[in-house]
Amino acid sequence: MKSRSQAVLPVLKGKKESRLIERGGSENADMSNQHYKRKRDLYPYSLLSPALIGATLIILVPMLFALGLSFMNYVLYRPQDHAFVALQNYRRALGDEIFWLSVRNTFIWVIGVIALQVLLGFITALFLNRRFWWRGIARSLILIPWVTPSVITALMWRFMLDGNTGVINDLLVRLGFLNEYVPWLARSSSALPSVMIALMWQGFPFFSVMILAGLQAIPQELYEVAEVDGAKVHQKFYRITLPLVMPILLTAVLLRTIWVANSLDIIFIMTGGGPGYSTYTLPLYSYIRAYSGLDFGYASTLAVYLTIILVMLIAAYVIRVMRTEDLH
Amino acid sequence: MKKLTMLLILAVVTGGLLFGAGAREEVQTVEFWYHLDDPEQNLDELIDLFEAENPDIRIDAVHVPWGSFHDDLITAVAAGNPPDAAQVKLWWQPQLVEMNALQPLDGYLADWDGYDDVLDDLWELTMHSDGNQYYLPLQMVILYMYYRVDVFDELGLEIPETKEAFLDVARTITEEKENMYGFGIRGARGGHDYWGSFVLSSGAEFFDDQGNVVLDSPEAVEANQWYIDLYHEHQVSPPTTPADGFVEVIDNMLTGRTAMTIHHIGSAQQMHNQFGEDISAFPVPAGTVDRWTSFGDEQTAILARDQATQDAAWKWISFLATAEYNQMWNDISGQVSINKSNEDVDYGDINRFLEATLDSTPFAQILPPHPRIAEFVESTWPAEMQRAFQGEITSEQMMRNLANHFRD
Amino acid sequence: MGYEERNSIKRLFTLHLPVLVITLFAIGPYIWSFITSISPPGGMRVQAGEAIRYFPESPTIFNYVRLFDRINFLQNLVDSMVVATFAMLFGLSLSLTASFSFSRFRFPGRKYFMLQFLVINMFPVVLLLIPLFWIMGRMGITDTYLALVLAYATFTIPFSTWMMTSFFNAIPKSLDEQAQIDGCNRFQAMIRIVIPIAMPGIVATGIYIFITAWNEFVFASVLTGRSVQTIPVALQRMVGQHEIAWELLTAGSVVSALPVIILFFFIQKRLISGMTAGAIKS
Repeated sequence: MKSRSQAVLPVLKGKKESRLIERGGSENADMSNQHYKRKRDLYPYSLLSPALIGATLIILVPMLFALGLSFMNYVLYRPQDHAFVALQNYRRALGDEIFWLSVRNTFIWVIGVIALQVLLGFITALFLNRRFWWRGIARSLILIPWVTPSVITALMWRFMLDGNTGVINDLLVRLGFLNEYVPWLARSSSALPSVMIALMWQGFPFFSVMILAGLQAIPQELYEVAEVDGAKVHQKFYRITLPLVMPILLTAVLLRTIWVANSLDIIFIMTGGGPGYSTYTLPLYSYIRAYSGLDFGYASTLAVYLTIILVMLIAAYVIRVMRTEDLH
Repeated sequence: MKKLTMLLILAVVTGGLLFGAGAREEVQTVEFWYHLDDPEQNLDELIDLFEAENPDIRIDAVHVPWGSFHDDLITAVAAGNPPDAAQVKLWWQPQLVEMNALQPLDGYLADWDGYDDVLDDLWELTMHSDGNQYYLPLQMVILYMYYRVDVFDELGLEIPETKEAFLDVARTITEEKENMYGFGIRGARGGHDYWGSFVLSSGAEFFDDQGNVVLDSPEAVEANQWYIDLYHEHQVSPPTTPADGFVEVIDNMLTGRTAMTIHHIGSAQQMHNQFGEDISAFPVPAGTVDRWTSFGDEQTAILARDQATQDAAWKWISFLATAEYNQMWNDISGQVSINKSNEDVDYGDINRFLEATLDSTPFAQILPPHPRIAEFVESTWPAEMQRAFQGEITSEQMMRNLANHFRD
Repeated sequence: MGYEERNSIKRLFTLHLPVLVITLFAIGPYIWSFITSISPPGGMRVQAGEAIRYFPESPTIFNYVRLFDRINFLQNLVDSMVVATFAMLFGLSLSLTASFSFSRFRFPGRKYFMLQFLVINMFPVVLLLIPLFWIMGRMGITDTYLALVLAYATFTIPFSTWMMTSFFNAIPKSLDEQAQIDGCNRFQAMIRIVIPIAMPGIVATGIYIFITAWNEFVFASVLTGRSVQTIPVALQRMVGQHEIAWELLTAGSVVSALPVIILFFFIQKRLISGMTAGAIKS
């Protein structure tokens, strides 16, 4: 049994050959196969090494340092108390009310924001893939949310959402959706959704660009054949577009999930985590503990928990990718 | 051709020698971090004056954005590469002292002839609890109450001296005036200044004489309940209160949505431009025990490690604390000078706000110097206050949570 | 009603209008920024009870003059452009080879490295600042272009590598195999066949790195700030402790988006050319 994602990976024309190569089967494929399967081939490693060295030095080393801190009592202003405490920080988090609130909010935040971004991004990409005279302009303009620095995005949305002077309230009242102004960011029930809208705005162009690029890999002939067979628009979408874009979409979702989970500048500027703890997410809580409490031990622990949660969230996807690769 | 080459070499060598000789004279560079609210302002003029007086010192001034000032400073200190001197806030002091980041100034102060010209209260307020002076005052920022004179006149209201009278005034305005609330409360970060004026003046204290946390004492809970009720029960503040930061609070005042709010002289010019003589100020009303207003401070401190840089840094920060230059600094920052000899400086249009500032000086206070105060101000207080305002927790729960912040 | 006419009405409702709505959503806050930026200080403020103003009474370009005249915003633009361009070039070249390796070869440790690239992306960067600042200080490159180029190029590696591996995977291996049979070596096969076909993906990834570098604040503030000052740092300075220079800030944000938008306008055609070009070659 081939999994679905593998079946769509090699695009049509190459499908037959590449399957043969994967299995190392036919004589014909063996020739080229040598290039890919030669034992102790250092070539792939040499291609990989620049990225690996860079990432190790600049990211992995600081990360291992922070990981180490998570097992320590490490409050910056108490240098005399720095000590190894094993799992004490981890246990402490499990009994911390704010930790659990943050975990809950992190799930809502990540799933909600990604769903909104993918949906809007996909629709936008499909439209922008069609030909019309102002396509170039539209493609450029939808990039604006993405290129606006976060501090501006956050402040702009905060003022547009303001309960006294906000333009969004004014528009909604004028259009008849609301009877009176709503203090969006001042209520626990509406603060998180409001911030999520702001992040959806900032992030959907990313998906549009990535999906747009992915759509280019679909050979036009497929649609022509389908049309000859009398396929409807939605059939073409579900049978051709979606499956063929899926691998790239999944990768984009995977990477963006990690990014969204970690993003805290918009939340911090818009609500500072409030009202109450209603917009606390794990990275925000970790940041607050680190830089206002200077408790880097506990903050690192919270960050490790975030990593664990993320690994769980994406495990299903990674396992599938890895299993597919095993078949190669 | 050969001659030319020789000449060139000679020129390079001579130049190198001269340059080298110049460098050997040791120009001491002082890296100084500061922040100003007005991005169009800078310290060029002050630095030029200073460097003219001290040709052997060069000031490398870095305008760090306020939003990341504290984070950047902590990062630089923790990574062992701090600036030589920096503008600092009082509530960072306990942490910075414990991190061994600050240089005591007492030695320098003993020989400094500018010492007596700095307002005496400021030395008291900025001295650390260990008896050392690490901070040198730079600005005097004291909070008072802005109010709309025209609204008070129209409704025949008197300036309230006590918080009960204040509540009556705020309720009257809220009821009588359309689209206007009596008092703009800052419910987001930074709002502890407002809270302090009503709660810390009415029996709530952080610590007792033995150093025990008593923030959840019955008096404190009651005073806090009174404050919560301003929003929750009497609704004298706009519905956006829990999310309102300084921008919203000032905006609400400027657009006539509120008739009173607490802030300092930094907003005075803006207020005056908007309302002219219809806006004025009075010291915050008394609580049940005494008066409490926040000393919203700015100081400088030395973080350099080696003696030579410390000496140079001292020259720079003490330069900024002398009357003439301190007034220049405060003209740039829009605040009030720390020097006695600047007390009579004419603020023109906004002199009445200077008066309110000086009238409030006797009871201006700071939060206790505890290493956890920074986190209290930045996250614990705003979160618990917002919960209480929304009725998610009671006054008692809120005060217990605040007390526990210092207990764990 | 002729076919042509009906078709154009249909296109209006199924294409032009929806795209217009999405575009308006995307640029709405930007337009609001622009309107604020051409108003005099406090010009958009209205008294309680009055209707919100949607356009200033006396529009002015004063804030833009201030921006370039008094704040030296041009230098910030140059700094951001330099950092973003080199971060993109450096980051792309690092991750191009890495993802080619992931996509085209099966070697021991491959999965481990791919996972490692993923996991190092999961840690909040604010907690990495202190060691990173220390490392950069040791290398003696704080407050230089290099510090930011290095930081952005490496912090986007995980993303770029995974993304481009996906794009490469979508290209049939038979194509580069054919090239090798025709006498190209493996490196030539990558340069001549795979990269041209994968161009839309590479462009999209390049855009990602560029924009990330263009917008990033935390590193820019900690690792640089004196001689190198990117746009986000300059903008953040307009947000003070007691005041926000709102009109200036919006002017800055309007200006800062323009170079990227214009650049993208010329680059976006590249998003479509790859596959067709590749198909012809094969």
